[in-house]
Amino acid sequence: IGCWIPSPAPQDILYRRGLCRKLRAGKSGATLDFARQLGHFFVDHPEDAFGSLGRLLHKNFHLGNSKLQRPARSSTIRMTALVEDIDRLEARRGCPRQHLASRLRWFSHLCRDWLFEVPLGLLADCLHEELMQQWSNLLFDDSLTGGALAWLPPEDGGTPVGCLVHPGGQAMNHLYFQDVVLEELPRTRGSPAQFELSGRVQQVAAARVDGQDFVGVRSDYHCGVWRVLGKRAPTPLQVIRTDVPASCLTVSPHVPGELSVCTQSGTVYLWSVETGLQQLRHDPQTMFFRDHSPWRWSDFTAHPRVLSCADRTGLQCLDARAPRRCHFDLFKVGKEAGCQQGERVVLPMYLGRAHPSQYLVTTQFSVYVLDERLPLVPVLKWAHMMKAPPLFAHLMPGKPGRSHKVLLGASRTQELLLLQYRGKTSSFRGGSQSACQLAGTPQKLHSIAGCLQHLPTQLPHHHHLLQQRLTAPAAGLAATLQEDGPRKSMLIFQLSEAGDVFCQRLTHKAAQPPALPSRDEATTAPGSSPLFEAPASSPQGLATALRYRRWLRALSRVCKQPPRHTWPPSLSQRRLFTRRDLEGPPGPSNLQRQMRQQLRQTMEEGGRIQHWETLALQPPPLPQTLEPAGGPDPLSARLTAAWAGDWEQWWEERTSFSVAQRQRALRERRRRQKRAQGRRSLSASFTSSLTYQSELSELSDTGPSLFSPGRPPILSQEGSPPAGSPPVGSPATSAVPDEALLSSQSLRCRGIPKERRKTLRDYLSVWAECPPEPPEPPGSQASQLCIPSSQSQLSASQPRRKRPRMGF
Amino acid sequence: SSNEHKLNFKKSKEACLSYIQDALLQKQWKRAAEFLTCYVESLEKDYSREHIGPSEMIWRIGTEILWHHSQSSMKEFNCFMEQMKTLGVKRYLKVCLEHVFHLLCDGQIDEAYQNLSLAESWRFGEQTAIQDKEMKLVQAYRGLLDYYSWSKQKNILLEQGEDGFSDLAVEQEMHGYFRKAAVNLKEIIKIPGVWDIFVKCYVDLLEFYGDHNEARQVLNEYAYNSKFPANPNAHVYLYQFLKRQREPKKSLISALKILHDIVPSHELMIDFNTMLQKSKKRKKRRLGLEVIFAALDYAGWKENAKAWSCLARQVKQIVISEKHLDWIKQEWNSRKDWWPAFHFSRYLAKRNWQEDKSLSYEKALVAGILLGKGCKYFKYVSHQGCKAQLKRFRMLKKFVNRHNLVYLKISG
Repeated sequence: IGCWIPSPAPQDILYRRGLCRKLRAGKSGATLDFARQLGHFFVDHPEDAFGSLGRLLHKNFHLGNSKLQRPARSSTIRMTALVEDIDRLEARRGCPRQHLASRLRWFSHLCRDWLFEVPLGLLADCLHEELMQQWSNLLFDDSLTGGALAWLPPEDGGTPVGCLVHPGGQAMNHLYFQDVVLEELPRTRGSPAQFELSGRVQQVAAARVDGQDFVGVRSDYHCGVWRVLGKRAPTPLQVIRTDVPASCLTVSPHVPGELSVCTQSGTVYLWSVETGLQQLRHDPQTMFFRDHSPWRWSDFTAHPRVLSCADRTGLQCLDARAPRRCHFDLFKVGKEAGCQQGERVVLPMYLGRAHPSQYLVTTQFSVYVLDERLPLVPVLKWAHMMKAPPLFAHLMPGKPGRSHKVLLGASRTQELLLLQYRGKTSSFRGGSQSACQLAGTPQKLHSIAGCLQHLPTQLPHHHHLLQQRLTAPAAGLAATLQEDGPRKSMLIFQLSEAGDVFCQRLTHKAAQPPALPSRDEATTAPGSSPLFEAPASSPQGLATALRYRRWLRALSRVCKQPPRHTWPPSLSQRRLFTRRDLEGPPGPSNLQRQMRQQLRQTMEEGGRIQHWETLALQPPPLPQTLEPAGGPDPLSARLTAAWAGDWEQWWEERTSFSVAQRQRALRERRRRQKRAQGRRSLSASFTSSLTYQSELSELSDTGPSLFSPGRPPILSQEGSPPAGSPPVGSPATSAVPDEALLSSQSLRCRGIPKERRKTLRDYLSVWAECPPEPPEPPGSQASQLCIPSSQSQLSASQPRRKRPRMGF
Repeated sequence: SSNEHKLNFKKSKEACLSYIQDALLQKQWKRAAEFLTCYVESLEKDYSREHIGPSEMIWRIGTEILWHHSQSSMKEFNCFMEQMKTLGVKRYLKVCLEHVFHLLCDGQIDEAYQNLSLAESWRFGEQTAIQDKEMKLVQAYRGLLDYYSWSKQKNILLEQGEDGFSDLAVEQEMHGYFRKAAVNLKEIIKIPGVWDIFVKCYVDLLEFYGDHNEARQVLNEYAYNSKFPANPNAHVYLYQFLKRQREPKKSLISALKILHDIVPSHELMIDFNTMLQKSKKRKKRRLGLEVIFAALDYAGWKENAKAWSCLARQVKQIVISEKHLDWIKQEWNSRKDWWPAFHFSRYLAKRNWQEDKSLSYEKALVAGILLGKGCKYFKYVSHQGCKAQLKRFRMLKKFVNRHNLVYLKISG
């Protein structure tokens, strides 16, 4: 049991105040509470709504109750008064002739153009669109069409272990493959195979071809296909991404690894795992008459290359080999089928397992069975009387001479309807073909919410929670026929939007001797008099109640837990800067003051500062030759580029070097350094490299994205030392002669101006991120970023290297 | 206020209806009946302009309840139906028809006939187009019942004829039925629609009296009139008629050709293929191959041993004669990317072998020629066949090995 966030209810979206009721009495249609939602947005996401200007202006807004003092009054406004005005307005809401407080009007007139981060008009448009979308989803959500529950039946002759495939988790983005043992009561076995997906699962479709189950999973922008082979673990085969939400995914019952996909832009694809996608049709318009719904559906037919494709106005069949030329109309909303006004296709389904050429089409009013050999004229029609349109359907083919059973399910109302029909039995050949007809009357089955009354009495608030959970809209439907010996029964699984799977069993009772012998065709129809064994009405029911208790306990436990993510995740910056880092310097240090004075003086004189360095560092022994006479080293190349003004381009080039090249360059540099500083001990240079790494490890905590070439300055921020610590005689620096290269003197010797030295150091420290003797094979980027924790532990004990602060 | 009253009334009416529906769908006929008696009140103030008004609701629901209710009798049912007929004038004919169907289901054919005759004589104001159509339907069903009586009399006469004496009165009666039935049946099949049963009865009548021209005309009209929905049965009836008339092959073939164009997966396609294979014309044999390939495209034919043997026979013929390999090549071209997975997988080889050896033999022959001796299906089946020491399969293996080059020519 996981926590579940209920989807929005009408009262969340609709305007429900007195005024509105009056307005609505005349006209039908809902009024969306736009202002409240916009208000929610401002309160819940202040950063997104007015982040930057809010920050800029927060000094000018006074939030206290106290009166403003004189000097402040000229540049600050008191928000409390504004808030009071708003509250008063709120209280008077519903009065049609209300006058806006002048202060409020003045404020909004003044601010509405610039205060908002996103221009207000644009934001309002987006919000309104979203609200309309949510509202139409509430009225009828067709993204769930097809249902997100699939049953993979046991193999023929094998153990009675089937598999339920369904989504779960808070966002319904986990896909579970749960083994289920069919016994007296179906029992789950083992823990399910689980896959985390990147979107809410809207539909799970499955078909068995050549003894393998292919499971297609549809979310808004991704469709995936899994293969389940007998007892082995399910294997993901392929994923496709769509730009427009997909509205349909069906799996071919004929050819392994073939699926059909439709998107809301009106495109139909035949998707083969081996050969990829083939576009069959692209038409944003509906087929037979104009309808605004972007919903599309497609399924397979008796011919493996012919696919049906549907929109709200009807169905057409297309040949995948020549989709433009070869197509015929299978079903049209219109007078051929005797449709009502406003009737629309809700769910088509290929009934191939019952009869190879039959098709089921449901609308919000009726159910039709069609034969593709005699298109447009339904062979069976029946008004289903369901309150919500049936979004889910499941077929259980009957053996020859038995009736086929079709289950229809609705989402919001959880309705479940069983109807049985008998297709023709004799062949066309004799011409004595009996028509397709309903066998017995359709039967309503128990909905999920119906089991509430059978559960033990709960505390009122538990009862409410339970009720909320049980009345969650249904999200899928699956069923199986079970026969052990003379006992025949039907197991029906229902998935709710909260991710719970419910199961009920219909037991076939042998037909009783009918009271009126002339009327027994209805009662003797096989399976037409099933009996639902309600929980707690039989010993079996008792077991069910017990199992429910376990579920209940888990449910109440979850509900007690505070939700883990009540706040929107915020980015913590604590790792980058400590509080001390962020504190500004209390004042210029002695040295800085001295420097400033000196600089000012020199500027007045128009001269140059020449003995700057003497204050900074003890000159380390100069290396005899820093650079071989060869081509320009990267450093000078970079500086030349920088002076020429195209530093950025250089940086791009530089970072796009292969890792191998970088390492080679580094090794070269190290070697040169070693040769140059022949006297130095190995250990000293090693220490220094460790300190480099410790810095790196700190940074790598924040994620490798910091190393993206576009953001080198990050490092320089990191290096800003605590205020007032003079770089002079810092123990770490003096202990590390390796720093020679970076020291101001050496830089100066090479004619590098002071302003550039800091950048240069930063730059070099980036290159120093590689260990001195790279043992990794070139090309393993990950190993560069990943530093063993022991090393960073070690470095933590080392005194931190303080880099000389540049100038002031 | 009256307005509020109206609203509340509407609400309670809707609630009542939903209770009835609930009870109906749970087969609680008694409960549904009780609610329906309450719902009858809604007739008093029928302000609704809905698609289905309360009176129609009561008729439909009441029929359903009375038909299933354990304590209702046919008498009560008839009584209810009579009431319903007077309840809505516009629906009179529809209710009559429905009543007749129930009577027929109950075996009361004479009462049903009476009811139909009554309905036929009913007149109310000016006839609308819908009423006209419904009246035609009423007449057609009466014609159907006349046909039923006619065929009963015919059987009596035939039996008597065997015994050697004939009854003039019975014969007279029979001819009377014929006239009545023919008039009414002829009318209904003029209207575009699917009238399979009426057409068949009418043609049967005509054929009995030797009016073959009229019968042919009726069937041709039913099959070829473009105003009628494309109905494969119409072509089947025509074909069967032509066959009975011992028409030349040519016209039989042309009838089946159209059936093939409409429904390539029709059962008659096997007959069609055998007919075409025997033909001397190249074009016809070519068509035969096309027909059998097209039929086997459909899922319903997957395990049809007869169809596979037709294909195997023709393919074998072509391979042995080494002429027209291009026919196979052309047919195979549009199928080679999916037939192997659809028909010739290893899984299917195993299953076909277990379930139907002769099917797997025919399929293996086709697979071996189309895909070569390396094909999974062929390999599995021929291996199993040789292991079981079946001579047929050994011959098959030899044959495919000998003609292995064909596969290269076809797929190349």
